[in-house]
Amino acid sequence: MEKKRKSQWNSRSAESAILFIGFAMSAMLCAQQSLETQYRITGPGITDLFEPQREVIQQCSAVLYDGSKEISYGLVVSKEGHILTKASEIDGIKSLKLRVDKTSFDEVKVVLVDEKWDVALLKVEAQDLTPAVFAESSDLPQGSWVVVNGATSRTKRRVLAGIISASPREIPAAGGAALGIALTDAKDKLEVKEVTEGGGAATAGMLAGDVILEMDGKKVKKMAELAELMKEKKVGDELKVKVQRKGKEVELTVKLTAKAELFLQPDRNDQMSGNFSMRRSGFPRVIQHDVIANRQTMGGPVLDIKGQVIGMNIARANRCETFAIPVEELRGIVQKMIGAAN
Amino acid sequence: MNEKKAPETQEDLMLIQKTLLEVLPKAKAATVSIDLGNGFGSGVIVSKEGLIMSAAHVTGGVEKKVTIIMPDGKKLKAKTLGLMSDTDAALAQITEPGEYPFVEINRINDMKLGDWVFSLGHSGGFNKDRGAVSRLARIVRIANTTYQTDGTLIGGDSGGPLFDMQGRLIGIHSRVGPQLPVNMHVPVPVFLANWDAMMASEFIGEGPFAQEAVRGNGMLGVATKPVEGGLEITKVGQKTAAEKAELKLGDVIRKMNGKEVKTREDLQAIIKEMSAGEELELEITRDGKEEKITVELAER
Repeated sequence: MEKKRKSQWNSRSAESAILFIGFAMSAMLCAQQSLETQYRITGPGITDLFEPQREVIQQCSAVLYDGSKEISYGLVVSKEGHILTKASEIDGIKSLKLRVDKTSFDEVKVVLVDEKWDVALLKVEAQDLTPAVFAESSDLPQGSWVVVNGATSRTKRRVLAGIISASPREIPAAGGAALGIALTDAKDKLEVKEVTEGGGAATAGMLAGDVILEMDGKKVKKMAELAELMKEKKVGDELKVKVQRKGKEVELTVKLTAKAELFLQPDRNDQMSGNFSMRRSGFPRVIQHDVIANRQTMGGPVLDIKGQVIGMNIARANRCETFAIPVEELRGIVQKMIGAAN
Repeated sequence: MNEKKAPETQEDLMLIQKTLLEVLPKAKAATVSIDLGNGFGSGVIVSKEGLIMSAAHVTGGVEKKVTIIMPDGKKLKAKTLGLMSDTDAALAQITEPGEYPFVEINRINDMKLGDWVFSLGHSGGFNKDRGAVSRLARIVRIANTTYQTDGTLIGGDSGGPLFDMQGRLIGIHSRVGPQLPVNMHVPVPVFLANWDAMMASEFIGEGPFAQEAVRGNGMLGVATKPVEGGLEITKVGQKTAAEKAELKLGDVIRKMNGKEVKTREDLQAIIKEMSAGEELELEITRDGKEEKITVELAER
């Protein structure tokens, strides 16, 4: 055992944020008294008390499936079948289905996507869904109760409770906003060496060998000029890029993504965080809570203790931090997207 | 709220929230981030004069210089005091004079299974806009030198505080298990049992949470030749302490820790008495100018 402990210690020195992962002590703990599982924060002894909030979530949340596999949650935003969800989790899903309360919908249309917030507006054929009731404000003090979707069965949504755990704030794009390209070493021109799979440039149809001439209508020739222009940009921004391709000029519109998420290199905190969201940065403003979650449980409502929606879960950032779009911004997003859809 | 096995009514829930909202601001004000140069941990101020409780695997040694980051982002100089390497307890002291926000320690060991508690910490490192991250939890296991709670911790939280619902410090974050709800803390009584020794900067125990400095295991990472006035650097090793401190070829080392160095033997004699993590003060001549440089020795 001593040897094992030593090796854990030795692995510490290189990390940037410190936590000792210790299995050595748990053997000692097992012999001690422990609290019955049902009375722990995720146990029914606690969650059963949030039955009024659970009933709200039963009605105003959706469960999204890829075939029969649960992939995400959603928020019912109109009586007529509009549902908001986390866009990046349904990207490329062929057989998207969903369930609201006990009713399942096999025909789900993706109406619109807002890259900035990573939300997608879905539509199913329905007339009498129960839309979420938005709270006046998400401005609850740190420490206030929140209730969100926990596990789910075919007929019943379950809940988990926690608290607002940090100050509302912007989550800047990890590593900055990026086009998703690598450039050649050429000093006198911006020549694309490689287009990163899954990045905005790839989606826009940029090709290796393209030479970037203009961005946002401004001539660019040097790496420093490009970097200066990118500094002000955010995830989801659309950038007009003029490139030279085989003697011709081609105009492309590139949506920006977070650089660190495009080239994800999991650090030690990521490794201990289980199933976190792939898109977890580049949000204009979020509220944060401490409810244990994972990638598949994003997209659903965040309720206050009164059962009103104060936000929508948008990213499981890591082992202890979950982000939600605040209701103030959520209201605007819903109005704008439904308006545009109609 | 700790009398009942679990909350029974909405009023019980509201009582938990009300209590938490009352004590959280003061607890947050005293929860600091500890910048170790090569990583971040957390700590909590427990006296007006700036005494800090943290974890042994965060401070990593005794009488080391560290930087404390206050919730408003202000950076303060501090030094580590003693630690218990077998239970993961440690103390540190802010060395800049001032009056600091602090929390009360719960000195009566009265924690029970199921007690409501909350964790604070600078998860993943300091973030001023976000502040210290809070987690509501219950004590799910109690052992001699450990509390286990279901409030999830992550790297950067280590050394941060666990509070009872009166806002009194009851433990310090130490480590996690493989599952999310397995999070361990060092109980306050562990600290109190060895308080005086830790205040006297003693290194207690033989690990695993910290390893005692070994005299002679420090390394600078340069090759030198004697020249007029000292030792000229002829080589700077890659990824060495010297490279990190940006020592350059041609720099002439005149003094180390105030002592003149004229031969390689002089240099070796000084390094031999030091250990990894210790700071070496160099007086050098670079491009004709005299400079002072501090190097934290790496492990040989």
